[in-house]
Amino acid sequence: MTAYGVLRSEWVKFRSIRAMLGCLAGAVVAAGSYGYLFGMAAARDYLAAPAADRAAFDPTETAFRALVLVGVLISAAGALTVTSEYASGTMPVSVTAVPRRGLLLAGKGAVVALATLLTGPPLALLSLTLSQAALAARGVPSVGPGDPGVPGALLGAGLFTGLIGLYGMALGFLLRRSAGAVSLGTFLLVLPGMAGLFPEAVARWIVTWWPSAAGARLFAVHPGTEGLAPLAGAGVLAATVLGLLCAAAALFHRRDA
Amino acid sequence: MIELRQLTKRYGEVAVVDGLSFDVRPGAVTGFLGPNGAGKTSTMRMILGLDRPTSGSATIGGRRYADLPMPLREVGALLDAHAVHPRRTAFDHLLSLAYGNGIGRRRVEEVLGLVGLADVAGRRPGGFSLGMKQRLGIAVALLGDPPVVLLDEPVNGLDPEGIRWIRTLTRSLAAQGRTVLLSSHLMSEMALTADHLVVIGRGRLIADTGLEAFVRSAARQAVLVRTPDAPRLASLLREAGAVVRPGAGGGLTVTGLSGAEIGGLAGAHGIVLHELTPWRASLEEAYLELTGDSVEFASSPAGAVS
Ligand SMILES: Nc1ncnc2c1ncn2[C@@H]1O[C@H](COP(=O)(O)OP(=O)(O)OP(=O)(O)O)[C@@H](O)[C@H]1O
Ligand SMILES: [Mg+2]
Repeated sequence: MTAYGVLRSEWVKFRSIRAMLGCLAGAVVAAGSYGYLFGMAAARDYLAAPAADRAAFDPTETAFRALVLVGVLISAAGALTVTSEYASGTMPVSVTAVPRRGLLLAGKGAVVALATLLTGPPLALLSLTLSQAALAARGVPSVGPGDPGVPGALLGAGLFTGLIGLYGMALGFLLRRSAGAVSLGTFLLVLPGMAGLFPEAVARWIVTWWPSAAGARLFAVHPGTEGLAPLAGAGVLAATVLGLLCAAAALFHRRDA
Repeated sequence: MIELRQLTKRYGEVAVVDGLSFDVRPGAVTGFLGPNGAGKTSTMRMILGLDRPTSGSATIGGRRYADLPMPLREVGALLDAHAVHPRRTAFDHLLSLAYGNGIGRRRVEEVLGLVGLADVAGRRPGGFSLGMKQRLGIAVALLGDPPVVLLDEPVNGLDPEGIRWIRTLTRSLAAQGRTVLLSSHLMSEMALTADHLVVIGRGRLIADTGLEAFVRSAARQAVLVRTPDAPRLASLLREAGAVVRPGAGGGLTVTGLSGAEIGGLAGAHGIVLHELTPWRASLEEAYLELTGDSVEFASSPAGAVS
């Protein structure tokens, strides 16, 4: 077993999971359509707002809002790399080929991270383009991909999807079932969107510290003073994902395959 | 060579494999027998490092499976033929296992040819028949050209041609000096394939012996005797210490004396014999006799179903 060989093995597996294509297509649709819809909604709000509020309008805020929903599909893709093996019964075969389970998990993780890392920026660009087009069509101020802070946010989006892909994979190892891993993954990701249901103090904590909300700071173009700094937010998400990966590795190592 | 030493696996209170010690030697096909639930699959899974033994050890050439640097080149296994991703082509299935063990595309093509799947290499196994899936599973086992091969019920569901293919294959693997451990419930097939038998029941070792010796030791050796003077011969044989029961077609089934002894006795008393046939139990009979006590899931006699 060489690390390179295991990586190639995992890539062969990854590209032959049919649902992966579905996840990718879904991610493209989500990035585009939600990007456009969030743009439309922001435009409506802008036009209805008094002049004072208009001055504070930041078009970049809507640009990447779709990415959290894209994350749902990215996380599902990560989970599927593991749960598809359990569902088809090939995990024992994989483990006999690579009995060093840490290496197997690392190989899978590398492929998932790379694939999801690379899809992030194009998806973010798509969301940005359509959301800004929706703003511009109504004559609302908008930004382009070359504007200050935007290229950095696009790269940050890659880091975000890469971490979310690994998050999904870790859940796949922990739960072993597609339905469980995908639904729990989704629920935890979109929880900050439901923060309004909680008491004020709890809600404030959630939108600041909840890993998916903190990680979303990675693609904040103008971070401002509210919430965590982008790198701190990334750190919270990364630490959470690392924790999940360690739990996944420990359980994968200990459990019968 | 595979070595098991006091291998034990417990699930809660139940020991499904219980202090199992035996060796599987190279150059022979070792049949692995036992009733349903006896622990054959569990034992193989522990040999392959899939399940963690509660205690004891299983080693291959002195090393644990997990410590083998290129495991598929040292041990090949078929555990479950259905364990294929339905949408991953046969070729990719093998390739995904090959790369991790430093095996290239050439060997994947070769092994697909070897099991007769070259024509469907690019097809998805979702639509494969059971026989084709078994062949793909065998291809996985042979991928690394390993000196040790474990096959768990490889002939399950195969047609007669496929069964014969497995038999020829396992015999030739053993003839090449490889170590072959083969489980099956088909006794007639096992009798033709195995040189050596390991029989377990409820996780414990029942027998570890050559096929011939197993059949001889387990089953009573009987002799079928046909004579016009049955009552007289029967009483003479009983006096000589044999057990005599009425056999098929008016003959006598004699146990406890050899054919030569019976013939000699009859000759000495001028009794004419029409038939004197030593009767050897089949592997199936020997097996059923030996494992009778350890069957967990016994069926009721056919008559009980009304
Ligand atoms: N994960 C598990 N948890 C609890 N019990 C288990 C588990 N895996 C296997 N067993 C039990 O272990 C016993 C041995 O099963 P195993 O599959 O090894 O038998 P086998 O000899 O291969 O049987 P068969 O001939 O039917 O294939 C069975 O009673 C089974 O129920
Ligand atoms: Mg079994």
